[in-house]
Parts: sequence; structure tokens; C-alpha cells
Amino acid sequence: MITIIYRLIVVFVIGLVGWNLFTEKKLTMQLNCAMVLIPLVLRALMIK
Amino acid sequence: MTKKNYISAAICLAVSVAIMIVTSMNFLAARDVPLPEKGPSVTEVKMLSDWFDGLKGTNGDTPVYVLKGEKEGGAALVLGGTHANEVSGYMSAFTFIENAVVEQGTVYVIPYTNHSAMTHNDPGEGNLQYFTLQTKSGERTFRYGSRATNPVDQWPDPDVYIHYPSGQQLSGSETRNINRAYPGRPDGNLTEKMAYGVAELIRAENVGITFDLHEASPEYPVINATVAHQNAMNIASEGCINLLLGGINMALEQSPTNFHGLTHRELGDYTDTMAFLMETANASQGRLRGATTVEQVLGGKDECYLISEGLGMLYVPWDENGHPIEERCGRHLQGIYEYVTAYNNANPDSAIVYSGVPGYSELFLEADPSELGGARLGSFLL
Repeated sequence: MITIIYRLIVVFVIGLVGWNLFTEKKLTMQLNCAMVLIPLVLRALMIK
Repeated sequence: MTKKNYISAAICLAVSVAIMIVTSMNFLAARDVPLPEKGPSVTEVKMLSDWFDGLKGTNGDTPVYVLKGEKEGGAALVLGGTHANEVSGYMSAFTFIENAVVEQGTVYVIPYTNHSAMTHNDPGEGNLQYFTLQTKSGERTFRYGSRATNPVDQWPDPDVYIHYPSGQQLSGSETRNINRAYPGRPDGNLTEKMAYGVAELIRAENVGITFDLHEASPEYPVINATVAHQNAMNIASEGCINLLLGGINMALEQSPTNFHGLTHRELGDYTDTMAFLMETANASQGRLRGATTVEQVLGGKDECYLISEGLGMLYVPWDENGHPIEERCGRHLQGIYEYVTAYNNANPDSAIVYSGVPGYSELFLEADPSELGGARLGSFLL
């Protein structure tokens, strides 16, 4: 159960980071968002 | 937000997704764990869930190789891969499975005791994912795993790990260490269930003697050593003397009664088996090491440990020859042989007799120096 809650939180954070990726004006911050998405998505899918 | 921003965001996202796909393929491939070939005495390959069905369908279920002799006798269990980054543990199990000719009794061998730990590694340690050996059938690839259960299979770690049933408190990350989980419990976390499965196998098959094969860093005090439960100390003493007479520097320690969760303590307490744990020296385990490379893992060589030796910081002699995988597997396999021989002397009615497994001499002493570091070991693998 706690894993499901954790994964839902991760998905929520992915949504926020994704939103930020497309609203951010600086390229460096967009790159930052794109990098942060990688471990979050792998974790949400329970791959790593 | 301009159109230009959207385009750059989309490009960043596309690169990110590409990296996700590549890394996912890598991580998912790690779950495909290579298995031993069947040696001359392998009569059956079962799963640990055959003894405890609570493991069925989980990543903690693991193959158990059954090597049965023609004559009735006792039963022995060899545990490799308790810690999936301790290479000589599971490579000794592979070597045993692929070479042993069991004449009397039954030997159960679990190459990956913590199967889940073999499906990931510790990138923060700069560890390998794979290494290869040239064997009789050509090049074979082997995994290099992690000390602990894959967090994908068991998560989250508590702040404090409370061992069942002793109540001993350890660091939270130890909750995924199977060698702190014995005797296990059927309704516990995955690691406790794996430990329970091993204990159930021992109880169901009347396993008289159990070996747990490990490696440790050269700066760890319990090194080149055997730790045995107090019930096994007579046999351990006889076996250890014969190892020393054979030129293997082996220390013998009695399992501490106040350190819980380990095979040599709990399997001795909660089953009727005689529990042994053996440690060899592996440079890639240590904190004082240099970069983790195949040469370091298999060749056992490390420049930083040469310096550490000079500073008197190690518990094992160290020189430029290091401690190659042949020496480490040879110690384990010779240790099993000598302790089983001592067990047979004390229990002639339930003897376990086998041959064909290379020992310390065949693997290490008789090898040409150019063969050490994997080639010699590979020559004994199918």
C-alpha cells in the first residue's frame, strides 16, 4: 500500500516537473527539468 | 511562453525520453540472471518456492540445484550469492554445480540465495554490471549484483531494522540484507521470506551441514576465516586444521551469540544443521580501494591496497599479485571439502561423498600466473 502511495506521489511530481519544463523560459532550467524526469519516471515504472 | 520555448522544451523532453528508454533496457536486462549449466550429478533443478510457496511468483524465488548420489547418505547445502556482489561466493557455487560428482548423499546448491539482489547493482559504488569468462563452451557472461535486495522488490527501508525474532536493532538498510534476516518468517518482508525459505529447505531435507560463501574487504577483521555455530565447532576445528596443513591460512571463529540474523547463528539455532560461513578477501568490497574494474574484481589486484598494506591497515597479506578469483574460489571449495570430510568422520551413517570439484591446488597453486584472474576458473566451467 505504501508503495502505491509513493508511486502516486512520484507521478504527481512528474506532472509538476513536466509542467515546469514547458513553462520555463531558460534553456538551462528546461534541461534541468528534463534530467530530473529520468529517475522519476524510472521509479514510477518501478524499473530502477 | 513563446513557441521557441515549446520547441526547446520538446527537444529536452525527447532527449530525456531517449535516455529513459536506453537506461530502462539496461536495467530490465539485469533481471535476466545467467544460470549454471547442469553438471554430471545434477538430478533436478527445483525452486526455493517448492519448500516455501510464499516465494512463488516473486523475484525472491531462486533455483535450487539438487545433486543426488547413487548411495543414500546425508544432505549438505551450499549457499552462493547471499550477497550478490561477493563474486567468489556464487562462482564457487557455479563451479560446484558444473563439476561435482556426488557418490553418496545429496548436495543442494543455491547459486543466488538472494536472487533479487542479483537483478540490480550499486552504481554509486561504481560497480560492474557484468563480467565475462572464457569457459569450455566459449565466452559466458556473469552478473555482478548488489549486497541487498532490489528496492524495486522491497521498499521502503525503515529508519531502524528490527530483526525478528531477537528484536536486535540495526541500520534500516539492513532490512534488505538476507544475512541479517535469518531465520526469517513466512509473513515478513521479501528478504525475511527468502531466509525462511532457506530454513524450510534445511528442515524439510534434514540438511546436516550448510555453507554460506562470502567475500569481504581486506580491511575487515573477519577475513580468510570460517565462522561456525557452536554446535559445529568440533567439525570446524578438524576441518580448519586440515586446511592449515594444506597451506590455506584459515582463521576459525565461533558465531557470536549476540549478533543475530546471520546464517551461522540463526540456522544453527533454528534448524538442526551445522552452519558454516566462509570469507575471502575481495578488493572490490573495500572502502580503501581504487576504481572498481574487472581486473580488480577477478584479478584481485589494487594499487591502493598495496599502499594500505604498507600502512598496516589490512587484515590480510597483500602484494602486487593480489587475491585472484581462483584463490578465493579455491579457498571456498577446499573449505567445503575439508569440513564435509570432517562431518563424515563424525557422522559416518549420513556421509556426503563427492569428487570432481577443483580445490585450492587445482584452481590456484597449480595455475600458471598468466591464467589467474578468470582464465583458470573459466577452464573448469562448462
